[in-house]
Amino acid sequence: MEEDRQEVTAELGAPDAQRYLDNWRRAEADFENYKKRIELERAETARFASTTLVLNILPVLDDLDRAFKSIPEKLAHLTWADGIRLIHRKLQATLEAQGVTEIKALGETFDPSIHEAVGQTAGEEGKVIEEAQKGYRLHGRVIRPAFVIVGNGQRPERNETESATDSHDSGG
Amino acid sequence: MARAVGIDLGTTFSLIATMQGGDPVIIPTSEGERLLPSVVAVSKTGERLVGWLAKRQAVTNPENTIFSIKRLMGRKFKDPSVQFDMKKVPYKITEAPNGDCKVVMGGKEYSPPEISAMILQKLKTDAEAYLGEKVTDAVITVPAYFNDSQRQATKDAGAIAGLNVIRIINEPTASSLAYGLDKKKEAIVAVYDLGGGTFDVSVLEMGEGTFQVKSTSGDTHLGGDDFDQRILDWLCDEFKKQSGIDLRQDKMALQRVRDAAEKAKRELSTMQQTEISLPYITADASGPKHMNIVLNRSKMEQLVMELVDRSIVPCRQALQDAGLTPAQINEVLLVGGQTRTPLVQTKVTEFFGQEPKKTVNPDEAVALGAAIQGGVLKGEVREVLLLDVTPLTLGIETLGGVATPLIPRNTTIPTSKSQVFSTAADSQPSVEVHVIQGERPMAGDNKTLGRFILDGILPAPRGMPQIEVAFDIDANGILSVSAKDKGTGREQKITITASSGLSKEEVEKMTRDAEAHAADDTRKKEEIEARNTADNLVYQAEKVMREHGDKVPADLKQQIEGKIAAVRSALQGQDAAYIRRTVQELTETMQKIGASVYQQQPGAPPPGGQAPPGAEGPGPGKGKPDEGTVEGEFREV
Repeated sequence: MEEDRQEVTAELGAPDAQRYLDNWRRAEADFENYKKRIELERAETARFASTTLVLNILPVLDDLDRAFKSIPEKLAHLTWADGIRLIHRKLQATLEAQGVTEIKALGETFDPSIHEAVGQTAGEEGKVIEEAQKGYRLHGRVIRPAFVIVGNGQRPERNETESATDSHDSGG
Repeated sequence: MARAVGIDLGTTFSLIATMQGGDPVIIPTSEGERLLPSVVAVSKTGERLVGWLAKRQAVTNPENTIFSIKRLMGRKFKDPSVQFDMKKVPYKITEAPNGDCKVVMGGKEYSPPEISAMILQKLKTDAEAYLGEKVTDAVITVPAYFNDSQRQATKDAGAIAGLNVIRIINEPTASSLAYGLDKKKEAIVAVYDLGGGTFDVSVLEMGEGTFQVKSTSGDTHLGGDDFDQRILDWLCDEFKKQSGIDLRQDKMALQRVRDAAEKAKRELSTMQQTEISLPYITADASGPKHMNIVLNRSKMEQLVMELVDRSIVPCRQALQDAGLTPAQINEVLLVGGQTRTPLVQTKVTEFFGQEPKKTVNPDEAVALGAAIQGGVLKGEVREVLLLDVTPLTLGIETLGGVATPLIPRNTTIPTSKSQVFSTAADSQPSVEVHVIQGERPMAGDNKTLGRFILDGILPAPRGMPQIEVAFDIDANGILSVSAKDKGTGREQKITITASSGLSKEEVEKMTRDAEAHAADDTRKKEEIEARNTADNLVYQAEKVMREHGDKVPADLKQQIEGKIAAVRSALQGQDAAYIRRTVQELTETMQKIGASVYQQQPGAPPPGGQAPPGAEGPGPGKGKPDEGTVEGEFREV
């Protein structure tokens, strides 16, 4: 073994041999790192494999949300409507079981890492005044930010926000 | 030495890629997305936001949210294009003392390279987190029409972001690299790049691995967003016709229709028809209103036809400037997400008179090409180890002339592989190892690389001796084949240097032949397999009769001898189905032996239909195909 190495060194010249050895080590190290990363990615992929499916089902949930928001007074008390409500809940529960969680928006401070501003309206500056579409996380990762309307600092007709201090209000 | 990255610094989106195991791959952002919006903002609280976060808060903070900074790179304030853009953006553009332009964000002035640097910085940081190592060297792409000062500004942006910009390359050049065109000798390439907001077409001349831009043209305000707008307008018009309500007045509803329009456009790239269903889109005195409109591909094509036609004008211009006719273009490449639309592909095909290439993800081609360039440049410092592959399958001939593969084609070399084989006859004194190369299932149809004989095998029943055959290909493509009798330790070896003697044409021909003969070959191989099974079964049956014949009732004995004769006569002919039928019959009859033998021994386990005790090798009980020579796959070396 030792002899072999000497022979190789003699033939190639020491600098060459050193370079090859160096490249070999790098290649081995690259491969090791690659394996580790692939392993991590595989775990990630498995965990988030349902992302596309969930993202495609969410609009259906949105539509159900909208349906209940605009349910006519007359129909709201029918047991038939209760049935649909149960279906709505079941869909939510099914998604929750898969690791899907709702993002809090209404009344929160606007945070672009979980909220997407789609408009502004009168209300406390920087607070979410209205939620246009719910946002969701899958296993803690934001898969769809909540679409929100953010307060622009102007006083609405009837201000219901905190009344203790107005120190944060801008003078104009 | 750290690796290099390739960056596509785009007008609306930016991407970063690097070489991994010899191939370019996109590095996702920390948000898990492959694209990063080219948007930078300073929030009201003074926080700097880049990418998705900046984009999501743009509505609340338009005057401090900078997008499309690429349009300002390296331009003077008085430049007509800057003056044009100034009217369209909500943020402030000012003039610097030296005549350059600056943008105002969070009450401070920034030069365009500083803004671009923030995007680059975010890409760099995310890439470092992903790769787990420092990223410094980068190749950044720019449009082919960028002048010196625009290129310098891009380089400055890289420096500000802490990147060592090892080269600025043209976007169409990067695309050509992503398509692997650098491997060709000489060609004229047209790159049709239709992105989200801009359209570029470039004609490149390639030779000896270098690319020269012959001409470029385009439309700085034509892209996928215009396509979406056309569909959006149509949907709103249709809805108005149906319900009398104009959704353009309702910002929230409009947002939903915009998303649906974009989704419909994407779906119509693969489907002929799609349904835009938006329940509770709005409401009037009579109650909620739903949108439910079917859009088919031909209607959509009608809607965007004018836009696609508009893109052909610059194509004609670019050819004219290069002094070329469409027929002189050797390759046409499609880049940019909007080229997924079939109508775009059709129009491009019509204009250039040839099918464009579209195998690389059009959103990612530029960044991938930049990564390749980075790899090549780093290769000048740290040599790239070229790993070859075996162009054809290597194997040996086994019983009945079957080609048994050991190293499948396209295996990266150096590599080695071994498998244990056995003898086909009792007391077989030697085996011939016939090394072959090719894709056909029968050895005779493949190319012979060499043959040698391993002798001195001790007398033993067939299937008993273990002959380990090992293939080894070194980095130079030299193949050594050895065969070793594991019982005696005797070994024979052959080294074949001619394995690389096949020309590219020969390799292609052999691959084509294999495809052309696939059906024929499969039938032939099945016949051989049936024969081998039959031969093996007859051998087993005769052995059983020899060893246990005395325990078998006379009438059964006669039956079995009859069946054996039937299989033998079937083997004389060519009819594989007939051979299989006689094998089946013999197998069933054989199972009766077990039953009668075990019944003679009180207390013995019930007949199981397996081979009688004492029979070596694969039992005939199941009649399962067995090639006879392949004893089994032992641990690979």
